[in-house]
Amino acid sequence: MIKSIFLKEWLKLKRVWLLVLLLNLCCMAYLLIVIRHQFQIEHSEMIWYWSFELRRLLYDEIKYIPLLTGLVIAIAQYLPEMINHRFRLSLHLPLQAHLQVLIWIGFGALMGGVIALIDMASLYLIIKGWFPTEAAASALLTAAPWFLAGWVSYFGATLVMVEPHVPQRLVYLLMSLAFLALLYLEKGYQEYDHALPVMILLALLMAPAIILPVHRYRHRS
Amino acid sequence: MMEKDTDLAIEVRGLSHHYGARCIYSDLNFTVPHGRVVALLGKNGVGKTTLIKILMGYLRPTGGICRVLGQQSHRLRAETRARIGLLFEGHLAYEFMTIEQIEAFYAPFYPKWRKDLYYDLVERMGLPKNHKIGNMSCGQRSQVVLGLIFAQDPDLMILDDYSMGLDAGYRHLFLDFLDRFLQEGNKTVFVTSHVVQDMEKLVDDVIFLERGGQVLQMPLADFSARFRCFSFQTPGDKAPQKDYIIRNVDLLGEAPKLFSFEPRQTVQDHLDAACPGVKLTQEMPMSLEDAFIGLTGKY
Repeated sequence: MIKSIFLKEWLKLKRVWLLVLLLNLCCMAYLLIVIRHQFQIEHSEMIWYWSFELRRLLYDEIKYIPLLTGLVIAIAQYLPEMINHRFRLSLHLPLQAHLQVLIWIGFGALMGGVIALIDMASLYLIIKGWFPTEAAASALLTAAPWFLAGWVSYFGATLVMVEPHVPQRLVYLLMSLAFLALLYLEKGYQEYDHALPVMILLALLMAPAIILPVHRYRHRS
Repeated sequence: MMEKDTDLAIEVRGLSHHYGARCIYSDLNFTVPHGRVVALLGKNGVGKTTLIKILMGYLRPTGGICRVLGQQSHRLRAETRARIGLLFEGHLAYEFMTIEQIEAFYAPFYPKWRKDLYYDLVERMGLPKNHKIGNMSCGQRSQVVLGLIFAQDPDLMILDDYSMGLDAGYRHLFLDFLDRFLQEGNKTVFVTSHVVQDMEKLVDDVIFLERGGQVLQMPLADFSARFRCFSFQTPGDKAPQKDYIIRNVDLLGEAPKLFSFEPRQTVQDHLDAACPGVKLTQEMPMSLEDAFIGLTGKY
């Protein structure tokens, strides 16, 4: 049964996931070209000065890509379920509804996570190509809230799409937007280092929250 | 959980439901024994869709009891859901799947899965197994959905408006396959349709649902034998009114008609007392659809 659920989620996601992966790879390639270009037209000392004295981020081109990735994955996964209330088909399967939806959300988060890992590896390697290892590691920590925003947008969009009642849907939307805004407050490097574990925990708590809208969807009297 | 071992496939007792201040039913009662094929008929707006949603477990009723296979419909256990085949209005299916994928998806959920029944139905369409359901006509999709329900080998089937979007050919095909499947015996079917005529060959019992939740339930054979239509003549403008003998009066057709479960003489005696001068002329033959309209009215 679990294998069947994974099959269904993969069928819904595969094309979109591959497209989103391609988009992410293109963005990383763009970042590579931009940084390479900067090193060709500017002295290395100047770029070092921008980066470490003025604390200018060299890789904020990718800032909103994880957010967009999470959003697109959620839409690809849940829109086919919500059109014509097709979600009822899944709710009638002889399996606990919350278990089923937790598998869905786990699968979507995992697929987004795989793309995020590829992005993070690419970012690390790109930065390491021109900067010391410490700078590459710092880039990962600086970009970590942006990657976390991918999960937040995925979980948030999931809650908004599955929730049958408009007031609760608005609450989920506002809550998700507020969380996302919180993840994009940085002005320099590694500003979220201390807050990041709590942020990750809060983002992960959004996953089991899906049980409530599913329950409401099932019994909407 | 309120649960009851029962010979009834469906048990509705004192069911009430409201949408805000609007009351759909306040005391709805009927039962469906195992092994019967029952049609729920009613005009638009009487609450058929609400009742189907409650039976399918997607709506928690405001009050009363609605049990399906002995369990409250909104709290069915997973193993009970495996015994119920649902057909949703519009032949709902996962349109992103192919003929082959959807069978592979559903099979592991159902212990009695009968792959042969699914492919027996679906292969008749002559489509390749990798044909996407989203690219099918409504009629073709209905075959896939019916095949999936048959393969599930359910004890109870709840079929919500199976005729929606189907042309006459696919409607008959659907009914023929359903009829053949039911010949295996011991299956209960609860069906709604706007094509009342189709029910004539299919169902054992009919439930007429009226506005406010009044229910008339009887074997179809009894209904066909007992429900009568009489044309009548009336002096002047005076026409008989609906009451406990006269179920409906239709003044809109070529000849004025009235409908009753009582024999001709009883109706005439009643008219003589209640509406002197009105004379029954002849008993008119009726199809099930005529009888349905006669009972529920055109408006």
